[in-house]
Order: sequence, then structure tokens, then C-alpha cells
Amino acid sequence: MNWKKVFAVIRREYLERVRTKAFWIATFLVPAFFLGYMAVQFASIRKTSGERKVAVVDLTGHLAQPLASELAEREEARRQKTPGSRGIHWILEPWPVAGDLDRTKDLLRKEVLDKKLYGYLVLDPTLLEKDRAEYYSISVSEFVALEQMERAINAVLLREKIRQQGLSAALGKELEKRVDLKTLKVTSKGATEEKGGGIIAAIVFLAIMYMTFFMYGFQNLRGVIEEKTNRIVELVIASVRPTELMLGKIIGIGLVGLTQYLVWSLVAMNLSLPAIAGMMAMGEAGAPTIPVSTIGYFLLFFILGYFLYASIYTAIGAPFNTDQEAQQLAMIPSMLIVSGMAVYPAVMNNPNGGVAVFASLFPFTAPLMMFLRTAVAEPPVWQIGLSILILLLSTAGLAWLAGRIYRVGILMYGKKPTIPEILRWVRYRPGKALQPAAPTAS
Amino acid sequence: MTAAIELENVSKIFGKFPAVDSLSFRVPRGVVFGLLGPNGAGKTTTIRMIMNITAADSGEIRVLGNPMTRETQNRIGYLPEERGLYRKMKVLDHLLFLAAIKEVSREDARRRIGDWVEKLELKPWLKKKVDELSKGMQQKVQFIATVVHDPEILILDEPFSGLDPINTAIIKEYLSDFRQRGKTIVFSTHVLEQAEKLCDEICLLARSKKILEGNLRDLKRRFSKDMLHLAVDAEPSEIASLPGVATSQPVNGGYLVVLAPGMDQREFLRRTLERHPLRGFSAREPELEEIYLDAVKAAGMEETRTIE
Repeated sequence: MNWKKVFAVIRREYLERVRTKAFWIATFLVPAFFLGYMAVQFASIRKTSGERKVAVVDLTGHLAQPLASELAEREEARRQKTPGSRGIHWILEPWPVAGDLDRTKDLLRKEVLDKKLYGYLVLDPTLLEKDRAEYYSISVSEFVALEQMERAINAVLLREKIRQQGLSAALGKELEKRVDLKTLKVTSKGATEEKGGGIIAAIVFLAIMYMTFFMYGFQNLRGVIEEKTNRIVELVIASVRPTELMLGKIIGIGLVGLTQYLVWSLVAMNLSLPAIAGMMAMGEAGAPTIPVSTIGYFLLFFILGYFLYASIYTAIGAPFNTDQEAQQLAMIPSMLIVSGMAVYPAVMNNPNGGVAVFASLFPFTAPLMMFLRTAVAEPPVWQIGLSILILLLSTAGLAWLAGRIYRVGILMYGKKPTIPEILRWVRYRPGKALQPAAPTAS
Repeated sequence: MTAAIELENVSKIFGKFPAVDSLSFRVPRGVVFGLLGPNGAGKTTTIRMIMNITAADSGEIRVLGNPMTRETQNRIGYLPEERGLYRKMKVLDHLLFLAAIKEVSREDARRRIGDWVEKLELKPWLKKKVDELSKGMQQKVQFIATVVHDPEILILDEPFSGLDPINTAIIKEYLSDFRQRGKTIVFSTHVLEQAEKLCDEICLLARSKKILEGNLRDLKRRFSKDMLHLAVDAEPSEIASLPGVATSQPVNGGYLVVLAPGMDQREFLRRTLERHPLRGFSAREPELEEIYLDAVKAAGMEETRTIE
């Protein structure tokens, strides 16, 4: 291995790709898209505000008033907790029953359709017996608003029941309290509080890894085919060994991917972090604290997985002359990458279960799933070690295989080779005369 | 001094079809060596084996005295038959890359590229992408790529195929320039007229086998069959009936006469002059093509169509 030459190939692959407009467009479009997505989310949460004028048809006769004050109290509490925040302002309007209930409902329906009312609530004792109340509105998917209303009704009903049983109001207050479940991740070093930020970070890393295997793995395939169609490869092979060229390409393209992450992290730190922090503050999750071990495992499994898949893609590109010809076989690595994500829910729910152990040892799903396990649980050290060992061996084996196919394939033009032919290239050794087809030129 | 390139019983088989069949030849240093033969004779396979791109199945290949090493590879300039460039790369970057994989330092590469683009009038195109260049200019870039590391041996596979007449003339000029500077040039072609004008030494291939090798001038002498061109006004039958004539055929302003074995040239001319007044006569050397056809015939390989 002549590293000077490998370096020259890496340099070319890297610079030529990083210099393209396409690279920078992709690099900035993804964060822009992500930020845009977050902005939309943010805006839609803020939009759940303003006045909600709701008619209350209270057939019990004594619930409408407590409900109105309950909602007002909750609104006040929220305003004190986060001053300046805009939320929903409920205006409850008691509505007498005119004639029978159906007639009243008809009337209210018209009021709602005429936009005079936002909606109406029916508190019917017969239904309340069955723990039901009815809320009619043009919009029934406003989850934030609906939840507020539901909680308020429950609280009022609870208090009402306690009063009927002749128990103290203080007990009512006690019963309303809910337990906040604090989650702590148990590790060998003790227990640390898991606010969800670490898991979110792990999932982001997982998504990045998944995407890279696809995008940059496929870039290897395209690069190999491009060199063939441009008829440049023979000129290069006269100076560089095929294995050196292959290695240089894989590393160069991988570095392009890493550059993209670097840009993304810089963008994230400068732009989106305040936005994320803002969202976190609104929600219950804490700011993401990413453990060093997660970053370490990410880099390790990213590199191993990338080399594994890049080798496969290279081997698949080498025998063919166009992307189309290679498409069919390119399905294989794609399916393998997807299969890693397919078992994701199972691994997430039971990070030390049978499926998780298998998926983190099977070389094609191992990079994604072993990384996930290290992030959400603490797998046994021997499993991590075994997974890395299996990955290393498979990567070495596949790289060797790819090298053999590559060596013969890059000089083959013309007819699309069949799979048995390609397999014969792997076994081919000079002196054995197993090479199947003559090159087109002689 | 060892030969520039030596092949000993080199064979290469693709499937059942022998692409090169126990081929041996020797390229002395400082000559222009032509590897000749029709398409499919095994020229490209031979060159690829010399370049160590394809491995030989058997036999031995020595370049500058030893089997090809990485170090020798850097001393060879190679122009493959299937040649192209990275289309999106800028000309200068491209040439720097090709120099870098020959382990030429960046400064040296810059200087040499500067010299060559000056000579070949490519300077305004250095910062352009290969895509934007005409085909003729791309060929010039490929040529610079072949010589940018100042190689000792140039190996060119069908260098003139696809070249326009202007580029052909330019490349020929630089090839003779290289020869003057003591470099060795090996090139393959199926166009025998080109080889005839350029080569010192040749190796003729047909159907994967060597049928002739040697110094071109020696070969011409060996294959000349006492041929005379006579400028004479006479009937074809009169010429054919001259004593000592093996065959004769009318050509422009006279006849081309092959003398019977053992017939002395001077004796023949004296006798001819007794019968016909000659406007002139000249001895004629065989053309490479004739030598080739004769050699093929002698090797019993007239049917050049391969049975597959």
C-alpha cells in the first residue's frame, strides 16, 4: 500500500465533491428544512391561543359556574408561570334549554356555523353517570384546547363528588395531585437522570448514520461507475493499485460525509440550539446532554458501518457501466440498511432482549442497533466487543471481496455481466485462466 | 545495458480463448518500437500485461531489467486505448492529480504542466473544466498526462486513433523529440503505414502469436525479393517474357518486376536494355504491409478470421 498515492486519491475525491454546488446546497438545505419544520411546529403551538367562546348547556344546573372559574384559575396559573405567554382564553356562556334538548342543540349548531360561538358543551347528568360529556365544535382536533377542557371538567366533577360524599375539600385537593414519574437510567457508575435529551440525541445520531450509509454508500457506487464511463480508470490504474484506488475513494467520500456533519453541528450550535432550548423549555424534556460515550460509540460504529456498506456498494458498482444496470443489485445493501431500522422499535422497547442482541451482532444491522443499545441501555461489555469483532471481520472480508470484483470489473466494458460471471472474478487468479470474457478491446 | 522491456513466453488466456500465446520480444532502450497487428491480435492485452494492469497467466515480463515494481511504474508514461478524463475536473487539477499518483512533487508537476500547456497552446484552458474542452484539446490533455512525470518509457496503445490530423502531427513531432532524448517508445497500431514511418523495431502479431520481430530496416532487406521498377514502354507480354522474370505487373508508367531466384540484377538490366529502351529503373523495397502479408502466409495463418 503506497499511502502517498492513496492520499492523492483521497484528496481528489474529497475536494472534487466538496467543491460542487450540489454538496453545499444539500448541506444547507437539510438544516434549513429542519429549522423550517421546527418553526412550523412552534408556530402551530403558539397558534392555539385566542378566545374560545363556548356555550354550556348545563342540565345538572350546578356545574357551569364551577367549570368557568376552574378554567379561569388554570389560565391565571399558567400566566403566572410563564408571563407573556399567549394561551387560550375561555369564555363560557351558560345556555338555557329552550324547549327540548334537541331543539336547543339545533339552535346552537346554527350559532356555531354562523361563527357566533366556537362550540358548545353539553353536561347531561345521565351521560355524566356514564362518565361522559359532549363537546361540539367546528374544530375537534385542537388537542391542547380539548385537553384543557377535559382536565377542568374532571377536576370540577371530582370536587363535586367529594362534596356529595361529605368529605373535606382538602382531601379533594390532595386527590387532584398527580405523581410525576422521574426516569433514571441505571448504569454501572450509578444512576443518572434521563430527561429524554440523551435519547433524542441518540435518535438524531442514529438517523444520521442511517442516512449516511445510504447516501454516501451509494456515492461510492456512482463514483466507480463514473470512472468507468469516463474511461479514466485505466489511466489511474497504471499508477495506483486497484485496492489503493478503492480505499482512497471510500475514505475520500466518507470524509465528505463527516464534513457535512461538521457543518451541521456548527449550524446547530449557532442557530438551532436556542430554538431547541426554547422548545425544550416549553415541553417537559430537559436540554440535551449528550454523553461522551454516545459520541464515541457513534464514531466507532459509523466508521465500521460506513466501510462495510461502502465496500458492498463498490463491489456492486464495479462490474457495471451505468447506474441503471447496477440498480437491481444496489437493492441488496439498501434492504440491509432498512432492515436495521425495521427492528428499531423492538430494540428500543427491549434493549437487552433477544431481537436486540441478534440485531446488534448481525453485521449488517449491528452498526445502527449496537449503537442504539449503547445509547439507551447498557449492554454487556462482551456483546459490544463481539459486535465490534464481527463487524471488523465482516468489513475486512467484504472489502477483500469488493477488491477482487473491483480489480476485474473496472476493466470490463460492454456487455452487462451476469452474477455467476461476477462470482467467477472473485475466484479468479492469474495462472488459473478463470477470467470469463475477453475485454472488448484486445 | 538491459533492455527497456523484455517478454519471455508470456501467455494470457480468457476463458478458452488465448489472447496472447507464448509471446517473447525485446525492446532495446532508445528505440521506437511498434507492436503491430490487426484488431484482436492481442496488442492491448500485451500492453496491459506489461503495465501490470492485467496479470499474465504464465511467462515473464521485465521492465528496465526487473519485474514491474511500483518504482518502475512511476517511470513509465502510459496512454491506454480506452482513455478519458474526469469530466468535471479542472484541467490543472486533473493534471496535478495524475502527476501526484506518479509521485511527482507538486512544484515539479506545476512547472512541467506549465511548460507543456505553453507548448500545446492549452494555457487559457487550465482553469476550465474538462467538459468545456473540445475533443482535440482533451486529447492534448491526455498526452500531457502521459508525459508529465518525464517518463523513461512511453507506452502508447493506439495513440493515433481518434486523433485529428493536426494533433497527429503534433504527437508525432513530440515522439521523435522523445526519441532524440534517448527515451524508449512502445506503441501499438493496426495502421501499418504509420508504423512504417515511425518505428525502428517492430513486432508483428496475428491471432495472439508473434509472427515477426526485428529491426525494420533489416526486415525490409530480408524480405526484399529483388524487385525492380522499370520505366519502359512495352506490352505486358513482352515484359513477362524477358529472361529471368518471375512475375511482373504494370504500374504507373512502367512495370514492377520480381526477378527469378538466382537472377543477377545487372545481368537482367543488361539483357532488358538490349530489347527495350529504358526511361529509368529503380530498386524497390517492400512495404511493411507486404512483409506482413508474406509473414502471415509463411506462418500458415492466411485466414486471419478467428474461429470462436
